[in-house]
Amino acid sequence: MSVWLRLHRHAAADAARRFAAQPLGAAMSVLVLAVAIALPVIAAIALRSAGALTSGVETDPTVNVYLALDASDADVRRVETSLRAHPQAAAVRFVPREAALAELKTRTHLADLLASLDRNPLPHAFTVRVRADEMAKLAAAREAWAKLPGVDQVVADFEWSEKLQRWVRFGDRILAVVAGVLGAAVAFIVGHLIRLQVLSRRQEIEVSQLIGATAADVRRPFLYHGLLQGAAAGAAALGLAWAASAWLGSELSALTPAYASELKVVFLDFGGIAMIVGLAALLGLAGAWWAVGRELRQFSPSDRNPRAV
Amino acid sequence: MVSFSAVAKRYPGGQEALKDVSFALEAGELAFLTGRSGAGKSTLLKLAAGIERATSGSVVVSGQNLSALGETALAVLRRRIGFVFQDHKLLFDRNAFENVALPLRVAGFPREEIGRRVRAALDKVGLLAREKALPIALSGGEQQRLCIARAIVNRPSILIADEPTGNLDAEYAAAIVDLFISFNQVGVTVMMSTHDEASLGRLGCRRIALDAGRVAAEPQAA
Repeated sequence: MSVWLRLHRHAAADAARRFAAQPLGAAMSVLVLAVAIALPVIAAIALRSAGALTSGVETDPTVNVYLALDASDADVRRVETSLRAHPQAAAVRFVPREAALAELKTRTHLADLLASLDRNPLPHAFTVRVRADEMAKLAAAREAWAKLPGVDQVVADFEWSEKLQRWVRFGDRILAVVAGVLGAAVAFIVGHLIRLQVLSRRQEIEVSQLIGATAADVRRPFLYHGLLQGAAAGAAALGLAWAASAWLGSELSALTPAYASELKVVFLDFGGIAMIVGLAALLGLAGAWWAVGRELRQFSPSDRNPRAV
Repeated sequence: MVSFSAVAKRYPGGQEALKDVSFALEAGELAFLTGRSGAGKSTLLKLAAGIERATSGSVVVSGQNLSALGETALAVLRRRIGFVFQDHKLLFDRNAFENVALPLRVAGFPREEIGRRVRAALDKVGLLAREKALPIALSGGEQQRLCIARAIVNRPSILIADEPTGNLDAEYAAAIVDLFISFNQVGVTVMMSTHDEASLGRLGCRRIALDAGRVAAEPQAA
């Protein structure tokens, strides 16, 4: 085995030993870190769930123009002419009420219910793809279309879904900020914990340096310690987040049958899980590097260190 | 093996520990560094061992100019020099075996090799039976010998000892000096400091006398 590999194995074993030597203390530190990491993870899960809800909704800029149930064929033709002539309408598709009913029958489980009705409850409709470049012009167009004779209502689905998506994007930003702040907190907490370790092993570090340990030699076990602490905290945070989302999810699924099927908690996928653990481990590593670096400078036996050895 | 030329060392705060020190030590030589407390003996030995850096002048050890070495290279060079510290620098939370094993662990020796070498070193200083003892349970003389075992475990070509006989009674001190002489006889370059010149009377070896940071004289033994 090469010396390099042996040094790393020893450093890793040393870190693991120190972890195991104080199981309660180690568990407490990991838990503190896990809580800090779990917060953004839970927020991310909430955003993923909200994102999944909106992804099923049409976001094409279309406006549905529903005619009154008693609209005549002449009304239909007039409305169609006005719509096609309108500068905000890019494409106009007519959906006759019979076609709408047939589609509803095939797409939902309401066929039995619909069959029991003696007449078609759906109106004629136009699906208009609009030029959504200017919201003010679009609003004016919607108002004008609603006033056409025979038109019952004008519905723009894409507006609320776009609004929701915008909120989700805003949520993403907040998440990034929160994750950044808490990530820094994790690095600092690990750094502080490692620093306590470094201080308690001050003499050992000093003697090691005197008898030929390089800065890297001194740093190595602490880096493994930070890495281990971070990874353990990341895993524990995922456990916390999973428990929280399972608890919320059970309540949510009780609502689901009566409401929308898209409403459910979406946990992180494998890539997300690996990223959380990896990121936490990296933060631990960074914290450890920072902590040991601070102490190393003071120990350094060269002339940069005024303290006589 | 060790050569100083026009070496000065000034500590922050203005204290000048060494001024214009020049001397050379051949490989396999045994030299005593004498002088009163505060004459600069400890500083000179630390410079020779790469534990501190000279303010000016050059310190060459094993053909390497220490002031030209970076931190890491200097640390690696320290592994090839055995150093017996005046205040022992033992780790009191680990037993004798682990204290001696430290330099080998730093250098990444395999476990079996560490066991073999540590026991050989402990045997050499007569502490083989105490390998499990914590330093606190050892007498002053035993602690000193433990420190020597740690200094030789890496089989260094240079052995430097700072007042190794300092707090020991005459009998113990003579035994320690004999130990260093025995290392020298197998080819190790040895340099040790003492303020107790009387104990050297019987020895016909080289002395470097320091006085207020300067090499005062090099009285050659008759």
